[in-house]
Amino acid sequence: MDFLNETISLFSDAGIVNAVNVTLIMSAFSVAISSLLGIALGILLEQCNFPGKRMIIRLNRTLLAFPPVVVGLIVYLLLMRNGPLGAFSLLFTIKGMIIAQTIIITPIITSMVYSFAVKAAPAIRVFAATMGATKQQTNILIVKEMKYEIYFAIITGFGRSISEVGSVMLVGGNIEGRTRTMTTAISMLKSQGIYTEGVALGIILLAFAFILQWAAECFQKRESEDENY
Amino acid sequence: MKIINLKKNLGMFALDIKYMELERGCIHGFIGENGSGKTTTAKLIAGILKPDEGEILYDGLCSREITMTSQKPYMLHTSVYENLVYPLKIRGIKPNETEIEAALEKHGLLEKKKQYARSLSSGEQQKLSILRALIFKPEFVIVDETLSNLSAESLSLFENLILEIQKISSITWIIISHQPHIINELCDNVHFFSNGQLIESGKKEYVFFNPEKPIVKAYMQRQAFGTVKAR
Repeated sequence: MDFLNETISLFSDAGIVNAVNVTLIMSAFSVAISSLLGIALGILLEQCNFPGKRMIIRLNRTLLAFPPVVVGLIVYLLLMRNGPLGAFSLLFTIKGMIIAQTIIITPIITSMVYSFAVKAAPAIRVFAATMGATKQQTNILIVKEMKYEIYFAIITGFGRSISEVGSVMLVGGNIEGRTRTMTTAISMLKSQGIYTEGVALGIILLAFAFILQWAAECFQKRESEDENY
Repeated sequence: MKIINLKKNLGMFALDIKYMELERGCIHGFIGENGSGKTTTAKLIAGILKPDEGEILYDGLCSREITMTSQKPYMLHTSVYENLVYPLKIRGIKPNETEIEAALEKHGLLEKKKQYARSLSSGEQQKLSILRALIFKPEFVIVDETLSNLSAESLSLFENLILEIQKISSITWIIISHQPHIINELCDNVHFFSNGQLIESGKKEYVFFNPEKPIVKAYMQRQAFGTVKAR
């Protein structure tokens, strides 16, 4: 009973609740911005042929393997007081963390949307042409027809965002009540030898990861051809 | 409609049509071996492909009035009904539910109206694709091997539908098929393709039953077109 009470009190702890809030706010905004950029870039890359296209695709794939801590360092150098964007005072704020996260997640969503579009868009475009759709109607149809794949890309991006630690630690500074996320809190608690709260936060993160995977699986299930509407 | 010096290079295949005339309001049959240029010509007419050289004179026909159905039609990730009304929706036309239900019932798809379109059999998908192509009353319809997978009963229904439509309107059709009886039943004019070129073109009675060119004669014999009696 004591264990249960202790667990409940941990989950209602202001510090933990705040870390969860900061994580969700940062992830939601960075994924929203990355989705807008990634979907548009992925579809544009599939549609347009121009010199240097292959290089851009290669560069985007390289960014997928870019260590988040290096992204954090670059953003830190840009946002520091003497840096080129120092005047905006974004270092150690959620906004600064969102910038770093957007740089990490956008290539993931772009790459996934591009891969899906390469397979699906040509057939959709031919169909739209035979139906007499305008260019705008064709683009809307491509997004609609790929909506489950796009959801899947967004969920993957969100999963990456909530579990990221390196860049948010550098750019956010792990300030309690302001920029402390679940992952940076776990890292700090471990270094202080406070394992109970760390495990509680780990369980919450695990629950988020489970919900996201479940949602992703639901979107993929639509491929089952016997589905009725 | 006239096609003049039309050229399209697709790497392994090159289309080169010097001159071709498609009379408006007629049913045209495109015949020839696989890879002879029938579908490429149809795609160029439908605006799916852009020609490298030459021109197609549409005689005032707008690209939105031309439609094409293929052997493996694309089905939207939604219901049979939503697939059917898509061409109307993009034109801002309100679907006439009575008309739609009658068409679906006639072709055995009414019970499957709310079903996921991709769960239909290939024959049913082809039926749906033809109905979808006709629902917005286009001026020019290209049917590329779409009639091939239909059962004898469904084929007869569609042949009658095409002939009925032809009686009351002046739609121009291109029927691409390897089945001689379909071409014979439906077409007024026949165009024979080989190696990316238009070899012979004219009234069905001539091209189909009395071709001039030896290559056309040989093809007709191979395909047993000669065994089909004139309509």
